[in-house]
Amino acid sequence: MNHTVGIAEMKVSADPGDVLATYALGSCVGVSLYDPVGRVGGLIHCMLPLSRIDPAKAEKNPLMYVDTGMSVLLQAMFDQGAQRKSLVAKVAGASRIMDAGGVFNIGERNYTVVRKVLWKNEILIAGEDVGGSVPRTMYLYLDSGRTLLKMAGEEKEL
Amino acid sequence: MAYNILVVDDSETMRAVIAKSIGLAGVALGSLFQAANGAEGIEVLRREWVDLVLADINMPVLNGVGMVTQMKADPGMGDIPVLIVSSEGSATRLQALKDQGVKGFLRKPFTPEELKKAMESVLGAHHE
Repeated sequence: MNHTVGIAEMKVSADPGDVLATYALGSCVGVSLYDPVGRVGGLIHCMLPLSRIDPAKAEKNPLMYVDTGMSVLLQAMFDQGAQRKSLVAKVAGASRIMDAGGVFNIGERNYTVVRKVLWKNEILIAGEDVGGSVPRTMYLYLDSGRTLLKMAGEEKEL
Repeated sequence: MAYNILVVDDSETMRAVIAKSIGLAGVALGSLFQAANGAEGIEVLRREWVDLVLADINMPVLNGVGMVTQMKADPGMGDIPVLIVSSEGSATRLQALKDQGVKGFLRKPFTPEELKKAMESVLGAHHE
């Protein structure tokens, strides 16, 4: 079954028939995690780097921010039986769309926080396509962990 | 096989970052030795069996270039592959190190994924 992960949302699944998709990643960042042993996968679409800019909003929806969102995603993965040591992480998005002058560098900051969270959790990034100015769509196939990117008519395996 | 790795860097923080990155790289690790400068590094190499050296260039007492020179002059340690991990990247110095047989370079700041790739490249080349 196909599941759409909206902005500031995530989905974790252990159903090998599932495909998780998140659309229109601009400066937002998408992170897929997959445990090939337990065949558990998760996909998140975060908007902003750090929850401390609005703790009230972060409490309401922690998935909006990379720091709190990644924590929730990791915990949900572990709850479904994923093992930290097996996790394969892939990252996409974090572009400069809507911020061509680089005034806010939201994309870059989103990516930096993803890196920090993964480093703290001792997870390397197995594949990534970040930056630039293209919108990206990211798919995670639960049967294999395959992560597919679609951008401007082009397809790419991460 | 498990590799014994020596990390030579005068920054304790950097040694900790490199050590953690090595742990994440999935390389079969035997022992991990650390040294704060080239002279300490040479001491470790005299004492221990080491399969790979990760060394900074700019360090007190004996820098990375001096350490590599001493290693290459010593038949007991001349064949140990060296990966330079440094923020310094002057073409002349890197070429001099390459001429001395240094197997790889990684510029700081690096990502743990880049360190993994550089180590795999050096170890792969050494054991072909």
